[in-house]
Amino acid sequence: MSDISTEKYVEEAKRGIANTVLQKALVGLQDRFGRGTAEAYRRLPEGPDLRLKAHEIREKAIAHLDVLLEILAAKIRASGGYVYFAETAQAAVDYCLAVARRNNVRLVVKGKSMVSEEIGLNPALEAAGIEVVETDLGEYIIQLAGETPSHIIAPAIHKNRQDIADLFVQKLGIRRTTDPPALTQAARKALREKFLAADMGTSGVNMACAETGHITTVSNEGNIRMATTMPRVHVALMGMERIVARLDEYEIILRLLCRGAAAQTMGTYASYIGGPRRPGESDGPDEFHLVVIDNGRRRILADPQFREMLCCIRCAACLNVCPVYGKIGGHSYGFAYSGPVGAVVTPLLTGINRAKDLCCGETLCGACKDACSMNIDLPRMLLALREKLAYGDADWQVEPASRAEGLAYRGWSWLIRNRRIYELGLKLAAAGQQLLPQKKGMLRRLPPPVQGWTQSRDLHPLAEETFMERWRRTRKG
Amino acid sequence: MREKMKTPDQTQFIRRIRTALGHAPDVTREARHLFAESPSDEDLQLQERIHRRAAEDRQALLERLIEAGKPINLNVTALPDVAYATAAILRLAAEKKPEWGEAKSIAAWRHPLIDRLNLVEALDRLQIPVHLTGPIPVDAGRAFDQAERERQRAEIIASFIGVTSADFCLADTATLVMRTRPGQPRSAALVPSIHIAVIHWDQILADMKELFALLRWDERYRPEGLSSYMSFISGPSKTADIEATMVHGAHGPREVHLFVVTE
Ligand code: SF4
Repeated sequence: MSDISTEKYVEEAKRGIANTVLQKALVGLQDRFGRGTAEAYRRLPEGPDLRLKAHEIREKAIAHLDVLLEILAAKIRASGGYVYFAETAQAAVDYCLAVARRNNVRLVVKGKSMVSEEIGLNPALEAAGIEVVETDLGEYIIQLAGETPSHIIAPAIHKNRQDIADLFVQKLGIRRTTDPPALTQAARKALREKFLAADMGTSGVNMACAETGHITTVSNEGNIRMATTMPRVHVALMGMERIVARLDEYEIILRLLCRGAAAQTMGTYASYIGGPRRPGESDGPDEFHLVVIDNGRRRILADPQFREMLCCIRCAACLNVCPVYGKIGGHSYGFAYSGPVGAVVTPLLTGINRAKDLCCGETLCGACKDACSMNIDLPRMLLALREKLAYGDADWQVEPASRAEGLAYRGWSWLIRNRRIYELGLKLAAAGQQLLPQKKGMLRRLPPPVQGWTQSRDLHPLAEETFMERWRRTRKG
Repeated sequence: MREKMKTPDQTQFIRRIRTALGHAPDVTREARHLFAESPSDEDLQLQERIHRRAAEDRQALLERLIEAGKPINLNVTALPDVAYATAAILRLAAEKKPEWGEAKSIAAWRHPLIDRLNLVEALDRLQIPVHLTGPIPVDAGRAFDQAERERQRAEIIASFIGVTSADFCLADTATLVMRTRPGQPRSAALVPSIHIAVIHWDQILADMKELFALLRWDERYRPEGLSSYMSFISGPSKTADIEATMVHGAHGPREVHLFVVTE
């Protein structure tokens, strides 16, 4: 698996908040796409409720995953393609390496694929001495910079035009310009050479359709069409859940994908790929491989509480409305998937304890659910994850995250049920608070072990007279 | 050496999925209810609507298409017959500058409608060579096949304009729909800097729903299905990856011109 740094959530979040370039970009992103997507759903002939229909379609497909995947595999093989089922990230990577070796591949052009980030494909290919070039402009920028994507659809959102200008001067040897069309042209030129020289192209899969036996990819740039048309070999990587049964169902998913991802009615390019070049045709790859990847999805499938998460199509609409993502940015989430989708998927794929900060960091405000193109109840699953962290869970090998917190709540529950002691405690606290640092009538800092509470906020002091005292006094009078 | 059979990785994988879903791992489940054996009422209505389309409906669709093209920078022009299309292509070929290198050449599909444009002759006047992407003979042997493919690839890469037709065009989203077949390479609509598509106006459909109703249920289209690679193309290539500024011409064509012949 690729590098995981979910443990650094708090640290990275602080860095994100302090990064002014990122802050500006995030505001712009959420302003445009957050609102644009909501408007695009409203303008659907069926209205935003089409998302409920899509949810049903996806749930039905997930409930019949075994059947649909077998049909898809049979059809792709009948069209001359290869299909490999990879249980783990390692198995998927090994398969890609074997295909590359068999075909003497020296240069791979990649279409953007989050699952390739998830399985860590690039480092593995590079270790085998193969040059790997990301071709989505945003991915290309961050590859040149040696970074990781910070948004599912807009991976280089954290970089401004000055950063990119410096990077291109250094890596592509161009004359310095900060003009986005000129920068894009420089990348277009450099990448065109790569597309035409590459031996193998890789892509993700936005959605497969069992009825027709095709996978589909969607892009605005055309890089995925290039990567799947010009090289001799095409390898498509697909999370095992990315399938629907019928073409009319696919139609609904595609419309919602384009709206959720970029508030568009249609992406510039959508390609339906069913196999390699056929006899008599002059272009297209000699070999087509589909790699269907589990890598922990089976556990999500087996748990009715989380199965819904497999309906996700990685459109990133939830990122564009999330108040937490909007402040801390994508790198804080420490894995391929960021924002609300990352806060649920990453703990489930990489370990709930390990990624505990992700699901605890979200606010449960519900914005993601309303924005989700598949109407997935992310807040419900965030709560379910927190519950597992509070009490532990044997099936998911979760240790209670904090025994002290559990004890504290038990103590609290006992305290508020014992009125006398509670009131005595209040009196003591009211007297004790005099000793704490204050400013403008607010408490600045609480003592350990609860100092975290006042780390980024001030607290109202306890009133001199409690409500109950006042009640008794005024009733008497 | 195609692996036609189920592989062991697949058998294990599918067994695990069945277990996760709470089903017996070794029993293949019924799938028929997930698919349709005959068109639904909606499919039939859609087919009916397409077949009944009169001239004024076509006109309305054409107008919708022109409107939908505007925000995505797709230039849609209606022309009364193919001679106008030839003239329009000639004009573009004369005006536009090649993006890579100096020499001008054009790649064009072998396709009944494109053949009628007589591009080779017409562009000869401008001394611009036209490479026709004919189908590759299937039984001519491996070496010939390889050489032919390499030649066509080189010609398409060298061309600054690619001329294609399309199977359909969806008015609501200004989407060209192309299925791949011999003689009609998809790279002709991808690698040259300018893509020109010429279609007849009865190829315009309203939306994806109509398209899929035809591809799934109409006997004229069903046998070919989606082909091995079906492309949707809605306007020129674009990106907004640098400070969310929209730029046309990321990797695909920078310009797309669609000529609709209304003869
Ligand atoms: S959770 Fe919903 S909104 Fe977020 S990426 Fe997945 S499908 Fe899109």
